[in-house]
Formats: sequence, C-alpha cells, structure tokens
Amino acid sequence: MINEDYRGTLKWSRNKQAVFTVIWISFLCAAVGTMVFFALFDPVDLSGIFDEDLDIDRDAGYAAGFFFFWILLLVCGGLTAFLVRTAPKRHAKHHGKQD
Amino acid sequence: MNKPQPASLYESEKKIYPREMGGRFDTLSKIATTTLLGLFYVVPWLTWDDRQAILFDLPARKFYLLGLTLWPQDFPYLALLLVIAALSLFFFTALAGRLWCGFACPQTVWTEAFIWMEQITEGTRSQRMKLDKAPWSFNKFRRKASKQFLWVTFSLWTGFTFVGFFAPIRELGHELLTFNAGGWQWFWALFYGFATYGNAGYMREQVCKYMCPYARFQSAMFDKDTLIISYDEKRGEPRGGRKRSVDPKVAGLGDCIDCSLCVQVCPTGIDIRDGLQYECIACAACIDACDSVMDKMSYPRGLIRYTTEHALQNEQTHVIRPRMLVYAALLLVLIGSLVTSMALRTPIILDVIRDRNALYRELPNDIIENSYTIKLINQTNDAREFRLRVTGVDGIHLDGITDTFTIAGGGVLSVPVRARVHRGNARGVAKIDFIAEALDDSGDMRIEDSRFLGPTP
Repeated sequence: MINEDYRGTLKWSRNKQAVFTVIWISFLCAAVGTMVFFALFDPVDLSGIFDEDLDIDRDAGYAAGFFFFWILLLVCGGLTAFLVRTAPKRHAKHHGKQD
Repeated sequence: MNKPQPASLYESEKKIYPREMGGRFDTLSKIATTTLLGLFYVVPWLTWDDRQAILFDLPARKFYLLGLTLWPQDFPYLALLLVIAALSLFFFTALAGRLWCGFACPQTVWTEAFIWMEQITEGTRSQRMKLDKAPWSFNKFRRKASKQFLWVTFSLWTGFTFVGFFAPIRELGHELLTFNAGGWQWFWALFYGFATYGNAGYMREQVCKYMCPYARFQSAMFDKDTLIISYDEKRGEPRGGRKRSVDPKVAGLGDCIDCSLCVQVCPTGIDIRDGLQYECIACAACIDACDSVMDKMSYPRGLIRYTTEHALQNEQTHVIRPRMLVYAALLLVLIGSLVTSMALRTPIILDVIRDRNALYRELPNDIIENSYTIKLINQTNDAREFRLRVTGVDGIHLDGITDTFTIAGGGVLSVPVRARVHRGNARGVAKIDFIAEALDDSGDMRIEDSRFLGPTP
C-alpha cells in the first residue's frame, strides 16, 4: 500500500480554482487583446481623441490598454463563474441525481 | 502511514515533493530546459548590425528580427505565425501526446529550474520533507533563506530579461542599476518576476491542473494511436513486494514490485498505474524511475513506457492516419504561405487619406483639385529614393510633392498633396491609383487606390 504522503492530494477548493482560473485566463486573453488592438492603433494617436492636451507616452498607453482589457475580462469571467456556480440547482426529486 | 483523512468539501492542501531521478528522459528534459532557458536569457544580449538582434521595440512600434524590421502593418504575419504555432501544437499532441507540457511549456521549464534551486538549498526529497516538518532552527532558516534568495534573484533576473525583449537590454540594465529606468519598465520587470516566482515556485502543477486550458482540451486531439505514457497493467499486476531472488511467476506476482517510486517522482503527484489521467503532463519521470527499478530487479525495462492504446491492446499502431495528414497538410499550406508572403514582401507602406473636409476645389483656368494626405514608409534600414505618381484620370497630376524624394531608413514621409485635373476630365467620382515606386533596381512599388471627386455633369 502506498503511503498517502506520496500521492498528489493537493487540491484547490472550488472557490480558489474559480478565482485563479479567472485571473489567469483573463490575463492571457488581455495579453492577446492588447497585442491585436495596439497592432492596429497607436496609443499616441488615440490619446488625442480623448483630450488634445493629454500628453501620454506609448508605454503608459500600452499599460493602460492592457489593464483595461484585463479588468474588463476579469469582470466578465468573474461574473460568469459566479453566476454559473450560484445558479439554482434543479430539484433532486424530479431530475434524479443532483450534482 | 497516515490515517485516511476524513472527506471534506474543501480538501486540505498537501505539498508535492517530487523526487529527483536520473535517466534517459530526465536527460532529455534537462537538455530541453537548458536550451529553452538558455535561449530566453541569452537572445536579448545578441546583436545584429549594431543593434539588438531580437527586439520588440514597442515605444517605437517596430519589431527587429535579425535583419528584418517589422511594422505594425505587418501584423498579419504575426497572426499567421500564431495560427501555425497552435496547429503545430495540435499536430504534435496527436502524434506524441503532451510533449509540449512535459518538455517545452514555460510553466514546466521554469518549475524545473525552481525545483533544481530547491534541491541545491534544501536537499533531496526526503530531506525537504523532513525540513518542512522540523521546527524552526538556524539550519532550517538558513536553508529556506538561501532558497528564497536564489528564487527571488532568479525571478528578478527573469523579469529584467523579459523587459529586455521590449527595450534595449544593455541600456535597460544600466538604467535599472542607476535607478534611472522608467516607471513602467520597473513595473513590468517586477510584475513578470513576481509571476515567475509565484507560478514556478508555489503554484507549479496547480497551474496545469486548474488554470491551463490546453491541459483540459488536449485529450480531444488524442486517439488510440497517440503516444502516451502508460503502465503495462497486464505485465505488472498483481503488484507486490518480493525479494530479488523470488521468481515472480512462482510467487504469482506481476512485474510491479510496488516500490511507489513512480508516484514519488511525479511532479503532479498522480499514480500512473491508475491509468491515463488528465493531470499527467507526460514528463516521463515515472518511466525513468521504473526503468531503474526494473534494471535492479533484472526485469526487462518498459513496465511503464511510451506506448499507444492500440499497442497496449496488441494491435497495430498507425503513425500515418487521416488526422495526421489533415494537420500536416494544413501546416504545410500555412507555413508555405507565410514564407512566400515574407519573401514577396515589399518594404514600402503607402497610405492615402482623402481630405474629407471638401469635396473638391475649383481653381482658375478650369482646374479641379482634390486634397489627400500621403503617408509613405520606407521599411528598409537604408535610405531610399522614391517617386510618387497618380493615374486613373486623363491628365491628372500631383502638386505639393517634388518629383523624386528620399526617405531615410525606417523613415516616414507624411505630406499633404493635391491632385489636379482639367474640368473637362473631372466628372463625378473617379477611381484613381497612387503609385509609390523605389528608384533603384529592386522594382519595389506599392499601389493604393483612392477617389477623385469632380462636379456632377
């Protein structure tokens, strides 16, 4: 018999799984989104749209774009995970096993 | 032996202490890790024509790849490259399972490096487990502190190298050392360093188990001919301990001596003998472990081995099969089109924007005039002479730009020009072509269409 110490019993709670998965996946998607977006638009050109006097350099523009995407996707992923996980379950009586 | 833990909704966390084990696949993995990390840390320091060989110069919006300079307008190449990368991943997964996970994924590669540092400072697997259980002492503090020192230093260097792909690394290093670097450079270096530290130092296999999309859908690429790491149940069972001198057949045992080494070496902490599991990243550490035991017992190697489901069922394995042919054909077409389009790439970019404020202007002597803004980019690294022409309407000619002009290497010419046509030829909307040609032997030219508006007849 195997000593249980050897086994990978390291398991994340469902909440921890959801939180880290949402953070990580939104991070990856934000990276792709930033790349595509700024390949098409130059942050220096964009800054003029919002405010003529807004003197923003490209580094700051890229960073702002990245965090915009990341936060947006965090909200999207977080709400999706929350709604899926807290959805009312079908009643066991009518539909057999409850998961 | 531990008592079985009571089942709880949120299972407690138990750290995995992968055991170190030499062998064929360990050597392969070390070669892969060293090569990939070597590339990552060395490449930014290479120079080509007096500038960094690989530099994604985001502030200047130019990518330097050896002798090639790519502009944002070349983005389709990057997109195509990413599609090719994804398809290659599918191809190799169908062929040989999770090769990517076991040998090439940054998560695996950096985890290997972090585990290596852990071994240097905290010792072997059993020493590490003992150390973690032991109360705090000077020795424990010393070992933990030196591990953290190595981890943190390595992470910071990793973050610095990462930013070095986007800003000239030599200047960046100097700026960081003298605290003159920009805020964003500091931020990204620390951000990437911290992500490396967290992912490779602490999260490790959890990233693969819970956070990686590829790990979840890779099984869709599997079929019965895909190479997998598998325990030969028919040969191994019934498992059990025995002395070397005992003949397993006489004792009614299979070849598995139940030494549990395959479980101890597993970085994701699974038991490969339970069958193929989605946690398995195909690092092949268990093959090395089992082979070493088989050697000691003088049994043939391969109780755990790379095999296919068909082979395990004593059936023929087909390497060439429709799935592989489809992936291969798609890959060839895409790679072919990337190479062709790169080879035929004209290093001139011409943008024509028609002035939207006025339809047209009437000049004296029955001349109709339209205004445009021309943006001409010389994508090569040397100065070139160009000529700009316009065609499409009889007698159309340009005003506001000299006959020929020179643009510096990597330079942009942005200039308002006016196209003029005699009233007799300017009727309604006409399609016109702006032609920019390089005045050298290359024959490089770029055509961009626009419209010329005249009075409605």
